[in-house]
Amino acid sequence: MVDTFVASFFKRIPENNKLERIWVLAKVDFKSRYYYHKLGVFWALIRPAIEILVYYSIFTSLFKTDIEHFELYLFSGLLFWYFFVEGTSKGINVLLSKRYLIESVQFNKVDLLISTTLSALMGFLFNFLAYLLISIIVGGFPFFWTMIYFPVLLLITCLMVLGFSLILSTLSIYLKDIQHFWDMIVMAGFWMTPIVYSQEIFLENLPWLLYVNPMAGLVINLHNVLLYGTPPDFQILGYSFALSLVVFFIGLGLFSKFSHKAAEKI
Amino acid sequence: MNFKSVQASISNADISTEVSEETIIRLTDINKTFYVAEKQYDSIMEKALNLFKPQKQKEIKALTEINLEIKRGEFLGVIGKNGSGKSTLLKIMTGAFPPDKGGKVEINGRLIRLSLGIGFDANLTARENIYVNGSIIGLTFKKIGQKFDDIIEFADLRSFVDTPVKFFSSGMVTRLAFAIAIHAEADILLLDEFFGGVGDEDFRLKSDKAFKDFIKNDKTIILVTHNLSELKTYAHRVIHIQEGEIVDSGDPEKVIQNYLNNFS
Repeated sequence: MVDTFVASFFKRIPENNKLERIWVLAKVDFKSRYYYHKLGVFWALIRPAIEILVYYSIFTSLFKTDIEHFELYLFSGLLFWYFFVEGTSKGINVLLSKRYLIESVQFNKVDLLISTTLSALMGFLFNFLAYLLISIIVGGFPFFWTMIYFPVLLLITCLMVLGFSLILSTLSIYLKDIQHFWDMIVMAGFWMTPIVYSQEIFLENLPWLLYVNPMAGLVINLHNVLLYGTPPDFQILGYSFALSLVVFFIGLGLFSKFSHKAAEKI
Repeated sequence: MNFKSVQASISNADISTEVSEETIIRLTDINKTFYVAEKQYDSIMEKALNLFKPQKQKEIKALTEINLEIKRGEFLGVIGKNGSGKSTLLKIMTGAFPPDKGGKVEINGRLIRLSLGIGFDANLTARENIYVNGSIIGLTFKKIGQKFDDIIEFADLRSFVDTPVKFFSSGMVTRLAFAIAIHAEADILLLDEFFGGVGDEDFRLKSDKAFKDFIKNDKTIILVTHNLSELKTYAHRVIHIQEGEIVDSGDPEKVIQNYLNNFS
């Protein structure tokens, strides 16, 4: 009897293809963003380029920023910021856009959110390559040993993106206009993060924002390890990590409790 | 005696011996109530503006006290008028809809539901959709690779492998979905008014054979359809759902006859 139980258990889970599934979902998501519209790659490149150009012109000519290598400062901050925005925005829509799968087959829907995060991460890596290229061109070979902290920061950001995606996609089941709401938060969040202005000003005048805006600490430490060659502020790093865990587990809790309603409500 | 009826008698003889004793789906005390607000507040603004206004909600009872046991290898037909709860029943089985409290859904295998018009991302090619759907169902890339040619062959889409599905005709989409489903090693196939009149004679013969092979391999099929002759051909058992309740169940000929008597 035990034998048949074990046999039926293994029969039910014939192969574990979870990783492959997440990979293929992420891949098609990434491709459909950049390849299926003929100009997808073009738009994907031109938009951040224009944005950087605009911020650069305004903050160097009008505000006379004294940040050294402002173009790199700007770009590196935007790296994480774009990753965060793109990841969470994909997360909000994924239950709707993958509804055709949810209705047809039983599978763990968390995989969908992991795949959107992964897809945004791919976009990030392309941006990062562009950043490295530019930093070599304008800054010589600015490679510091502190860059070994970069993967840690990236990992925390991934966890943060996934956590927020889980929360937002759960909310999207019940609130159809969550995207608009999130767009506003993101817009405010951009100006609450030291991307276009210096992090010293930020830390001097609005230190409490560090605890409100989860991306601020990550961007500050990214600047530190990537641009200044200083080790990360470990207090901020610890806070970011703790917060990302909290957000992730809240997201996971909410999602597992409410995601079964997805097909019905959306 | 025409060709069709010959086929019918053969397939019935083929199939009827194959039903096993093992229960693969067991639904116990399934109720499903939808709460539909007369005015639905599903945005943040509306929710905020109507925070203290009690919402009038209408209860719609989609399914009432469904108890159903389906055996491995069984071909079950589901009939009933539009809106009687057939699709809801199938969505309960896939887990897309949770049943009301107290209901229990036990599924002892992998399950795919096919219905018209969904199942694919239109922007992806046939190849990509095969990989996405295959891995969602639980197949490894290796497995999908092994079956890939069979799927394409069955769907007769050799020259459209790398064409986005949005350029496919509805017949081609149906063929592709069905080809994936029967090659996906699922234990249970839920067909929700799937063959809505698409598919030519060639595909009909193919799917006829696929049905038989599927059942022979101890797989289970649940078919929701208005095509009653199809059910007479294949089904071991037919259930009739009326306003969310199973009002009749048993021998296909008998159930279908009773169902038709309703209209006369």
